[in-house]
Amino acid sequence: MVRTADLLPLAVAVPLFGAVVLAVGGRWLPRVAIDALATAWAALEVAGLAVLWQRTGDGHSVSWLGGWYPVRGESVGIVLVGDRIGIGLALLAGALVLAVVVYSWRYFDEPPVQHAGTFPALILLFEAGMCGFALTGDLFDAFVFFELMGAAAYALTGYRIEDPRPVQGALIFGVVNSLGAYCTLLGIGLLYARTGELGLAQIGLKLAGHHADSLLTAAFVLVITGLLVKAAVVPFHFWLPDAHAVAPTPVCMLLSGVMVELGLYGTLRIYWVVFSGPHGIAPPHLRATFVAAGVLTALVGAVMCWQQRHLKRMLAFSTVGHVGLFLIGMALLTPEGIAGVALYVAAHAGVKAALFATAGVLLDRHGSVDEHGLYGRGRDLPLVGALFGLGGLALAGLPPFGTSLGKAVTEHAAGDRFPWLPVVFVLVSAATGGAVLRACARIFAGVGPRPREHDDGTETTGSGEAPEIRDPQRPIPIPMLAVPAALLCASLAAGLLPGFGSALAHAARQFTDRTAYTAAVFGHAVTPSAPLPEVGWSVEGVLLALASTALAALFAAAAVWGTGLPWHGVGRAVRQRVVLPLRRLHSGHLGDYVTWLVVGVAVLLVVMAA
Amino acid sequence: MSRTARIRLFWVAAAVFAVAYTAACTGLPRFGTEVHPYGTRAVTSALHRHTANAVSAVNFDQRALDTLGEESILFAAVLGTIVLLRRTRDERVGQPTAGRVLPSTRLLGLVLLPVTLLTGVYIVAHGQLSPGGGFQGGVILATGLHMAYVAADYRVLKRVRPLSVLDVADAVGAGAFVALGFAGLIAGGAYLQNVLPLGTFGQLSSGGLVPVLNAAVGVEVGSGLIVLLASFLDQAVEVRSQDRSGSGGGT
Repeated sequence: MVRTADLLPLAVAVPLFGAVVLAVGGRWLPRVAIDALATAWAALEVAGLAVLWQRTGDGHSVSWLGGWYPVRGESVGIVLVGDRIGIGLALLAGALVLAVVVYSWRYFDEPPVQHAGTFPALILLFEAGMCGFALTGDLFDAFVFFELMGAAAYALTGYRIEDPRPVQGALIFGVVNSLGAYCTLLGIGLLYARTGELGLAQIGLKLAGHHADSLLTAAFVLVITGLLVKAAVVPFHFWLPDAHAVAPTPVCMLLSGVMVELGLYGTLRIYWVVFSGPHGIAPPHLRATFVAAGVLTALVGAVMCWQQRHLKRMLAFSTVGHVGLFLIGMALLTPEGIAGVALYVAAHAGVKAALFATAGVLLDRHGSVDEHGLYGRGRDLPLVGALFGLGGLALAGLPPFGTSLGKAVTEHAAGDRFPWLPVVFVLVSAATGGAVLRACARIFAGVGPRPREHDDGTETTGSGEAPEIRDPQRPIPIPMLAVPAALLCASLAAGLLPGFGSALAHAARQFTDRTAYTAAVFGHAVTPSAPLPEVGWSVEGVLLALASTALAALFAAAAVWGTGLPWHGVGRAVRQRVVLPLRRLHSGHLGDYVTWLVVGVAVLLVVMAA
Repeated sequence: MSRTARIRLFWVAAAVFAVAYTAACTGLPRFGTEVHPYGTRAVTSALHRHTANAVSAVNFDQRALDTLGEESILFAAVLGTIVLLRRTRDERVGQPTAGRVLPSTRLLGLVLLPVTLLTGVYIVAHGQLSPGGGFQGGVILATGLHMAYVAADYRVLKRVRPLSVLDVADAVGAGAFVALGFAGLIAGGAYLQNVLPLGTFGQLSSGGLVPVLNAAVGVEVGSGLIVLLASFLDQAVEVRSQDRSGSGGGT
């Protein structure tokens, strides 16, 4: 019988070992055996994490690696700390990896010669990085797993090397994320120099003995820079659409579904445990800054999402929009906001992965993900169309999907503090969901006038993509339909199962309790004192969700049929003045992206020091 | 963004960054202070575990999970390179031609090859005693083999580097680190716990798990680096894209 604490390092060791087995076994085993082995390994990891989730309950699981338990409150070792938010995210990553492994059973036409196991091995290394990052209680260790996530993700993004675009996308992804990581490392250096500690809880305790000064703010901004880059918060987001548009579909499911959200998790975890103590960063200051950043990110993501005709870019920008909403919810710094976002993230992962998976079917059939070029060509795929449309509605917040409940809870928490924030939630959900519905109507139903196929030079069309699988004559592999259907069902279940919401309510209260985390690291259990947030359906939430869904349908209908209406001219003026300059900023030029990264850091440094 | 606008914007932002970072550095502890809270504890713990090289004790015992993560990053990088630099359908392979090498260079290479390999093994094996260890020694081992490229030519290097074996060795080295961590669990302790006999301080056999982990990392880094370089060298020396077909380049 494995002890609960030992399940924490095993969550990292199991996928690492699986990667080794697949890399070696891939040389000799047939393709079927490799796929079966990868699936079994991913399932084992999910099982381990599920047991950990169950046994940890509303407390903390703590593991001191190498048996370096603290002596008189001090240790030289690394501690892994699992609470329900951290374990839940690891579990989400594990479940998505399982879905991805099943989805890509017969996905790639030809794996690299002699290295057939490389793709699943890299996926498992990616998983180890994500789980390690979610479960560690040590700042430097978090950085190591952050880099492991990155190294695997860059390689996976550029996997289809026959096409120069994936290599370019992976390069931008790698360079921008690495620059962010250097900033994080600089920040860790500052904290370590001041405190002589690397554990999150230990740094937090030591910092309480110093006064807030320029070192503290600079260290905070630098440490979170790398995480905000990973989370694709404006203006650190430029890499994301470029990478998502070109990465293989199964990889997009992981990047959008959970990796980006892990960046936000890291930011808030580090804030709560390290910087929220006495003499730390003042909550009102942080709330104002992050809510502003969240609103900006949400609006930029929504506007850019609406403008795309390349389906994967559209979904990528929808992720940016939703990350903005998540950031707003987390930045409220209340248990209710965290609970809402946790639910929203879990349900969004299912929906977004399902949408990418169905876009992958189109890519497989037609070698294109261009909304205009695919006009009417999806008529023979009604089931795929239904899944895509349902995904669009769920993205817009149709009850009773989990996205809807998560949005409602977060909205309520946000509206309590800033009454205008629910408007942002409704608009962003409607625009991102509406864009998907618009594409769905055009591709799968062929409604409205045929859209123009040429582009005006500022667009990425998404035509002429190499299909990731050969032989379009064969029937669609069953996993490619079963996986998105299962993911949408899971997202539905997240909204319907009352036990899930109440577990996340407990988890959120625990996540925002700095004292309980620090005490758990040193082996004491503290009962949280804050009131339990309310996580459940409310009339107000359902009405707002229905409003955003209706608005999304309206947006889509107006885009498909409304070209001759009188207000079309107004739309053109807005497009010229606002949207076109915004699109031009997304230039694909690495130098631009690096400049925006530095500008973002500079702005954060100034704002946080003010 | 135009080039000038980009550069100006960058420098303005970079200046803000520089000012903030400099201000932050004024809050650091002064140079030359006698005690460092972590350093003092780490050295005490290293001596306690009979590991003379405190750096190795930190890397392979006290914070071994970080090192596990780092060597996994290297493993991922090697796998990634194999994937990204694999041969595509439109790439042709040309034969590398023999290059001219001075006899003195050839002789020097011949003499240095065994010396370098021996140094590499020494550095890996003495990681628990003196500066060095698996990472450093592994790099030296990989460099030693490339002496064949410098002193002879690419065809000789290809003969002395059994890539398929090294490829497996890289994975096995990475796997061995993960698996050695289980020793602690089996012995009833924590993952990656140093449960082997600690030996006599200052002896080659001291440090318990530290030299074993060092050996695993040495194998992984040495073979991984050769595979990594092989992918790049193949691209540079052998592979020709279709529009530039012809014989391979000189070496």
